Amino acid sequence: MLGYNLRIALKSLRRNLGLTALTVGGIALGIGVATLFSTIRHALAKDPIPGKSAVLHYVRLDNWDPAKPHPNPAGIPPQLTYMDVAALLRSDIPVRQTPTFKANLYVFPDPSKGRPQRTLVRLCASDFFTMFETPFRYGAGWDRRADAQAEAVVVLGEETNDLLFGGADSVGRTVRIADRDFRVAGVLDRWRPSVKFYDITQNPVDVPEQVFIPFSLLRPMQVRSSGNRDGWKSQAAPGFEGLLASESTWIQMWVELPDAQARRRYVDYLTAYVSEEKKTGRFPRPLRVEVTPLMAWLREQKVTPPEITAMMVVSLLFLAVCALNLMGLLLAKFLARAPEIGVRRALGASRKAIFLQHVVECETVAVIGGALGIGLSVLALLGINGWAKTMINRSDLVQFDLSMAFLAVALSLVAGLVAGLYPAWRVCRIPPAVHLKLQ
Amino acid sequence: MLLMESIRKVYRTELVATHALEDLSLHVRAGEFVAVMGPSGSGKTTFLNVAGLLDTFDAGSYRLDGEDVSRLGDDEMSSIRNRKIGFVFQSFNLIPDLDVFDNVDVPLRYRGLPGPERKRRIESALELVGLLSRARHLPSQLSGGQQQRVAIARVLAGDPRLILADEPTGNLDSMMTREIMDLLEEINERGTTIVMVTHSAECAARAQRQIHLLDGKVVDLDAPPTLLRADVPAEAAR
Repeated sequence: MLGYNLRIALKSLRRNLGLTALTVGGIALGIGVATLFSTIRHALAKDPIPGKSAVLHYVRLDNWDPAKPHPNPAGIPPQLTYMDVAALLRSDIPVRQTPTFKANLYVFPDPSKGRPQRTLVRLCASDFFTMFETPFRYGAGWDRRADAQAEAVVVLGEETNDLLFGGADSVGRTVRIADRDFRVAGVLDRWRPSVKFYDITQNPVDVPEQVFIPFSLLRPMQVRSSGNRDGWKSQAAPGFEGLLASESTWIQMWVELPDAQARRRYVDYLTAYVSEEKKTGRFPRPLRVEVTPLMAWLREQKVTPPEITAMMVVSLLFLAVCALNLMGLLLAKFLARAPEIGVRRALGASRKAIFLQHVVECETVAVIGGALGIGLSVLALLGINGWAKTMINRSDLVQFDLSMAFLAVALSLVAGLVAGLYPAWRVCRIPPAVHLKLQ
Repeated sequence: MLLMESIRKVYRTELVATHALEDLSLHVRAGEFVAVMGPSGSGKTTFLNVAGLLDTFDAGSYRLDGEDVSRLGDDEMSSIRNRKIGFVFQSFNLIPDLDVFDNVDVPLRYRGLPGPERKRRIESALELVGLLSRARHLPSQLSGGQQQRVAIARVLAGDPRLILADEPTGNLDSMMTREIMDLLEEINERGTTIVMVTHSAECAARAQRQIHLLDGKVVDLDAPPTLLRADVPAEAAR
């Protein structure tokens, strides 16, 4: 009977193309807008590393000015000093850990292929690649021995490997970065998380860096951060060593803690560390340490702006208005069909059969409208990605994935039901005898 | 086949109650061809709606084909309409978007018959009314007489026990009227009971019995009123 009802629905839609365009167009607009904003929010709010995010924790210590808290909403500096990072790295509680920051360094391609380029380089520990599950095309990350010995090893991003080595397997080959030659340990495959979750201190939708080198090279190469640097106290000594010994915060610290017990132990460890430091006059504010799981960290930093959530809610309300509008149109259309319904009832159609016939018609409108709406939202997303390409040099900011396709289909079906249930109910209650004479 | 006793049907509005059927009793035997006549407003259409389970009634009892149908739910009434009753209307009541084949298919769809069985019944019915070659025509492409023959084919395909015809020739010229009446007679001769509401004395004359309605009651002008009740067989009356 479903196939029969579908045929009737399609005939009905063909009968009055103007009205059909109006009903389908209304739903398409509602679905398009709702899907667009849901997709944007989803891209920012979804778990960037499912299955792993619960064990990844971001570390903060409050070493700020005793007179006033850090100006950010949490009241605690979002990054750590070099001194604290160096101390925390001695803990064996985390299964893995990585301090990390980005820097601007010159990368020297073969002179025949191009000029030296200032490139964003991320300094991190070897654990970075395992913790954040970076995909590798060739080779792998360096090992902990390379961390310990500050070896000049590098992991290249796909684009930089294309630029330097024409996309070939460059593992073992050499690339000059700043003042020394680096041996390529691995080349990343395409890695474009929608949120740059491992460093949201600046632009959270930025693309990952293309060059990764050991954090331990920071000192020998005297690498300074090109990201945010906060401080409340003047540097006591000049120069790079003075920076390392200062209260400037500029390094992000991630730890992998497999369970709640490990997290408690680590918090205790940090508390003990800060308590000891307080004895030396550091950490003048009330003792506060934060070990925040990844998703909570992203929420706290409002990576998904509240405005985006508000726009999504408004877009869903807009869809509801479209559905109500469709309800009115369908009601008028169905009631005008009362004589035909009278005939069908006389020929043996039950109220249930008439109800289902009209629900199928509503859902047909909704599915066609939904398909068009998905098309509209994909077009709009292409536009947004085009804009993002010019603004932040990434053309894959918002992806329309399978879950969003399911959402759009579900929204369409629900909108069809919302719009269609009442008209279908009204029309199936029409007494069959009333309209038979009017045919 | 059709046994109504003391049927009352009242249409009520806030201001007025209209007694469309008042103490109407009637028995139509299986295989009969009965014409129901009466002036406008006499209750003919209401009678047909009640007889066809298209409308409910307020008092009395109604047995159709031996089954008490006085207080049935919508699903049961729809099922009986679908299986046992065929309707022929004055204005044909074909569905304009559906072609001839699909129009005849409508009651069979609601009966849930398998595709090949439906096709066999549709083609056989259309052949009987001489319209098999027009199976893919839309109603608007047919003459009035042809449309009524499609409506009759729709009835025949369902193979009902009872046909209720409401002015089946009311919109047809005399030649087509004769054609349709011939067809109805032919169907009746095969054993199908027909109750036909008509204004036409000529058409009514072709029925085996004429029943006259006035103010919602049966007034048999050709026979003493007692005959109506005397017709009721003892077992059916129980």
